[in-house]
Amino acid sequence: MMARHMAPPARKSRLVIPRSFVYGAAAVVLVLGSIGLIVFSFYLVSLDKDIRTRFAGVRWALPAQVFAAPLELYAGLNLDAGDLKHELERLGYRDSGSLEGPGTFSLNRQGADIYVRAFHFWDGPRAENRISLKFDGAGVASVSDADSGESRDIVRMDPMLIGSIYPQQQGEDRVLVKLEEVPELLRDGLLAVEDRDFYDHFGISIRGVLRAMFVNLRAGHAVQGASTVTQQLVRNFFLTLDRTWTRKFNEMFMSILLERHYSKDDILEAYINEIYLGQDGNRAIHGFGLASWFYFNKPLGELRDHEVALLVGVVKGASYYNPRRNPVRAKDRRDLVLRVFKERGLIDEAEMRAAIERPLSVAGTKQGGVERYPAFVDLVKRQLRGQYKDSDLTDEGLRIFTTLDPRSQEALERNIAQGLAEIEKSRKLPAGTLESAGVVTSVGGGDVLGIVGGRDVRYSGFNRALDSRRSIGSLAKPFVYLTALEQGDRYNLHSMIDDEPIELRLPTKQIWSPMNYDRKLHGPQPLYMALAQSYNLPTVRLGLEVGEKAVANTLKQAGYTGNPALVPSMFLGAVDVAPVEVAQMYGTIAAGGFQSPLSAIREVTTKEGEPLNRYPIRVKQTLPEGPVYLVTWAMTQVMRLGTGRSAYGIVPDTMTLAGKSGTTDDLRDSWFSGFTGDRVAVVWVGRDDYKPMGLTGSSGALYIWSRLIRDLKAKPLDLIPPPDVEEQLADTVTGLKADEGCDSRLLIPYLRGYAPQSWAPCARAAESQPMQWLREIFE
Amino acid sequence: MRIGYKACFPARSALPVVLAASLGLSACVTPTAQRTSSWPDNIGRTIPAPTAPGPGQNPTPGASTAHTPTPLYSPPVAVAPPPKVLPAYPKSADEISSQAVLSLMKQARSARAAGQYDQASGALERAQRIEPRNYFVWSALGRVYLDKKLYDNAESVAMKSNSLARGNVYVELENWKVIAAARQAQGDAIGALQAQVKVDEIQRDLAGG
Repeated sequence: MMARHMAPPARKSRLVIPRSFVYGAAAVVLVLGSIGLIVFSFYLVSLDKDIRTRFAGVRWALPAQVFAAPLELYAGLNLDAGDLKHELERLGYRDSGSLEGPGTFSLNRQGADIYVRAFHFWDGPRAENRISLKFDGAGVASVSDADSGESRDIVRMDPMLIGSIYPQQQGEDRVLVKLEEVPELLRDGLLAVEDRDFYDHFGISIRGVLRAMFVNLRAGHAVQGASTVTQQLVRNFFLTLDRTWTRKFNEMFMSILLERHYSKDDILEAYINEIYLGQDGNRAIHGFGLASWFYFNKPLGELRDHEVALLVGVVKGASYYNPRRNPVRAKDRRDLVLRVFKERGLIDEAEMRAAIERPLSVAGTKQGGVERYPAFVDLVKRQLRGQYKDSDLTDEGLRIFTTLDPRSQEALERNIAQGLAEIEKSRKLPAGTLESAGVVTSVGGGDVLGIVGGRDVRYSGFNRALDSRRSIGSLAKPFVYLTALEQGDRYNLHSMIDDEPIELRLPTKQIWSPMNYDRKLHGPQPLYMALAQSYNLPTVRLGLEVGEKAVANTLKQAGYTGNPALVPSMFLGAVDVAPVEVAQMYGTIAAGGFQSPLSAIREVTTKEGEPLNRYPIRVKQTLPEGPVYLVTWAMTQVMRLGTGRSAYGIVPDTMTLAGKSGTTDDLRDSWFSGFTGDRVAVVWVGRDDYKPMGLTGSSGALYIWSRLIRDLKAKPLDLIPPPDVEEQLADTVTGLKADEGCDSRLLIPYLRGYAPQSWAPCARAAESQPMQWLREIFE
Repeated sequence: MRIGYKACFPARSALPVVLAASLGLSACVTPTAQRTSSWPDNIGRTIPAPTAPGPGQNPTPGASTAHTPTPLYSPPVAVAPPPKVLPAYPKSADEISSQAVLSLMKQARSARAAGQYDQASGALERAQRIEPRNYFVWSALGRVYLDKKLYDNAESVAMKSNSLARGNVYVELENWKVIAAARQAQGDAIGALQAQVKVDEIQRDLAGG
C-alpha cells in the first residue's frame, strides 16, 4: 500500500512503447513461460520417477541379521533358577511377576512360567506360547504347557539377535516392522508429537506450521516440529540435510507427489522404518524396529509406555537426546512426550504419572547397544565370504542362524577380562599390558560356541583369535606323542624315554641344544609322564625317532593348515597357529580322531524365512581312534599330575579333563588348550609387541582356562576305550604287567595286542609261575 | 576327593595281605579308573554287555545307570569257547536317550518320511547337540545324509556312530548298511562289498549262527 502511494505519477514520464514490441515481449514471456512450464514438468516427472522407483523397488538395504543359537529347554537340562533368569533377561524378557504378554516371565526357586515369543526359525514359524518349568536339584525337572498342563519334551527359545552385517562406510542398520506390528501408542503418539494433521494434509501442512509456532512460543522452546511426517520421510529418504532453498523446494514437491501415489499408511510405515534414531559406532540405527532392540533389547511390541515415549522423543534429535550419553536431557524429553500423550488422551493421568516415575531403563552400556560379539560376527562374515556377494549380506536382509552359545561366550569374556586383571595384579605387571584371545567349541559337531579376539571384547578391530598366529610351544607335544603311539609295536604309554642332553647340528651349521624348562635332567621317563610334565628333551628324542615328516603329517591330519618347516624345533612348537586353529586341532583329538571343520553358521534364510543354505555337521576320521585314545589318556595325566594340575583347585575333582599347556621362548606366549566331554577350549595370553611377559602356560592361560571350564558347566570327559584298546595294570617302576603284588601300579590303556605280556618282578603271578613249573615237574 | 599318586602307593617293601591290598586298591584307584560313566567297560561281541549302557553323558532320567565297574585287576582265567550270548546292547534309542532327544528323533522320522530331509537333519543335529555321544542320533543322521545324497558325510557320520557305539551290533548293523549304500553310490564297489560283508557278519551273529 505504502509503495503505491509513494510511487511517482508514472503516466507523464511514461515512454511510448510500440505495440509490436509489446506483442514481441508477450511472446517471449509466453515462450519462456512455456519453457519454464516444460522444464518444471520435466522436473516434476523426474521427481515423480525418483519417488516411485525408490518406493516400488527395494526400499532399504537390509543388513543381514545374525542370531545366536537358541536356548533349548528340556527336562534334564543343567540350568537352575538363577541361570534361567539370567538367560531370559539377556533375551530381553521381563520378570513381571505374572505372564503379561510375550517376553515376560515369573520365576521362583521351584519353577518358572515363561511367555515365549513368536519366532520364525529357519525350519518354520513358531507361535507365541506359554510354558511352565519345574526345577529340581539337578536343574530343569520338567517343562509343560502353561495352559493345558501337558508335558512338553523340548522348547526352543527365540534366539538372541547378536549383530548385523552392514556396509563399512555408510552403515545403515534396521529391523523392518509392518504397520500392524507397531503398538498403537507408538503410532498415535508419534503422530501426536510429530504431525497431528497427518491423515488430513496433502503432504505439507499450513495448519501444522502455524500450530507448531504457537505451541513452541507458548512453551518457550521447540516442542513440535513444523515439517509433516511426509516431509521428514522425504528428507531422510532422498535428500541431504543441508538447509538450502533448493532442498526445501524439492522436499515440498516430493512430499506432495509422494502423497499422490501412496496411501497414508504406506507413508507412515516407511517413516517408522526409515527415521534415524541413534548411532552405534559406524552403524546408524534406523527405524523403530531396530531402535527398540538397540535401546531396550526387546521387540517393538513389548515396549511399555515410558519406553515408547523415549523413542518418540529421540526422533527430534538422536544425538542430542541420546539416552545413554545424555540421560537427564533424554528423560526430560521423554516426560514431555508423555504429557503430550496424556493431553491427546492416549494415556490417562495415572498411566502418565506411573511412566514418569520410571527410570529410562535403557539396556546395554554407555557406549554401545546391547551385547554384541564383534569377534564372532567377524568369523561369521569370513565364513560367508565367497558364498554370498557382499551386497547380498548388506542389502538383502538375510537371516543368519549361528552356533554362538551366549553362555559360553559370556563365560569366556568374563574370565578373560577378570583373569588378565588378576594375573597382572598378582604378578605386579603394569595394568593393561597383557592381551588375550580364546575360543570355545563343541566336541564332535565343530560348532564355534564362543570367541574372544582381545581383551576389549566389544572392540571389533584386530581379532587375535583368528589372525594372531603365534608359536604354540608345548601345545604341539601331544601330536608328537600321538605320532609315536600310532606305532604300537614301538611305543606304548609306559615306554621309557631318556631325558638326556641333546645337541643337534642344524642345516644352518648351528648347534641346537634344547633344554627342559627347569633346566634339569630327570632320568628316563615313561612316555605319558614326559608329556604330563612337558619335558622337552624326551619329546625331541621321541620326535627325532618318528621323524619330522610324520609329526607334520599328524599336525595336518588334526587340522593344522600351515606348512611347518621340517626342523626338530617343530617338536617343541615352533609352528605359528591361530587360537581358532588350535581349537580345530585339539577338537579332532577330543572327538576320537574325527575331524569336524569348525563352523560358526548353521542356517541362512531369506528375510521371508525361506531356507537358502544349511551347514550340516561334517565329520571325517583323520586320525586313528586307538592312538588318539592313548594320547587323550596321557593328556588327562597332564591335568592330574602334570603341568595342568592346578586346574583341580578350581574345577571339581570329578571332572575328568584333558589338556596341555604351552609356553614359548622367554615366556612370550602362554597357552592352554584342552577339552572335556563336550567342550574344547583354547586360551592364549601374551603381549602384542612380542615382549616377554614372564608367564608360562600354567601360570597364565591355565588360570583363565580352568575358571572358564568351571563356568561352562561342561560334561566330564568319559574315558571309554575303543575296541582296539585294552587296559592292563602296569607296574609303574618297570612298566611290565602288574597285579596286586605290586605296590605301585597303574591301569594303562594299550593298543590291543601290544600290552606287555611279561609279569613285573613284583607281580604275584611272576612268583607263582616258577612254582607252577616246579609243581608240574614233580607231578 | 583328590587322591595324590604318591600318597596312594605305599613303600614297595610292604607285604600286604590280599585283603589289605584289595582294600588299598579300592581306595587308591587312579583317577582315570574312577569311572562314573554308564558306558560299557568290556567291549566285544562275545562278552555279555552291561545291562543299561547309556549315551555316557545323558543317561535317561530314572533309568538305571548303575553298573559294576571293571575290577582293576581280574585274575587270568582259562579261555573258554566264547559263550553264544546275544549281546544285551540297547536295541533302540529309547533305552539310552532323554525324552527331549527322543522327541527330536521322532520329528526327524516324520520329516524324513515326508521327504523333508533338511528338517530331518536339522532336528537330529539339535539332538546331537544335546547328547553329543548318542550313537543312535549319529546313526540316524547318517541315514538322512544318505537321503540327501551327501554320501561322503553319510559314511563318515555312520563311522562316527560305530566309534561311539562301542560294539553295539544293532547300531553297527544299520551303520554298515548306510556305509555300503554310500560307497555304492560313490562308485566304490569294493568298499561297498566290504561294508556288505560286515552287514552279513552281524546279521549272522544276531541270527545265532
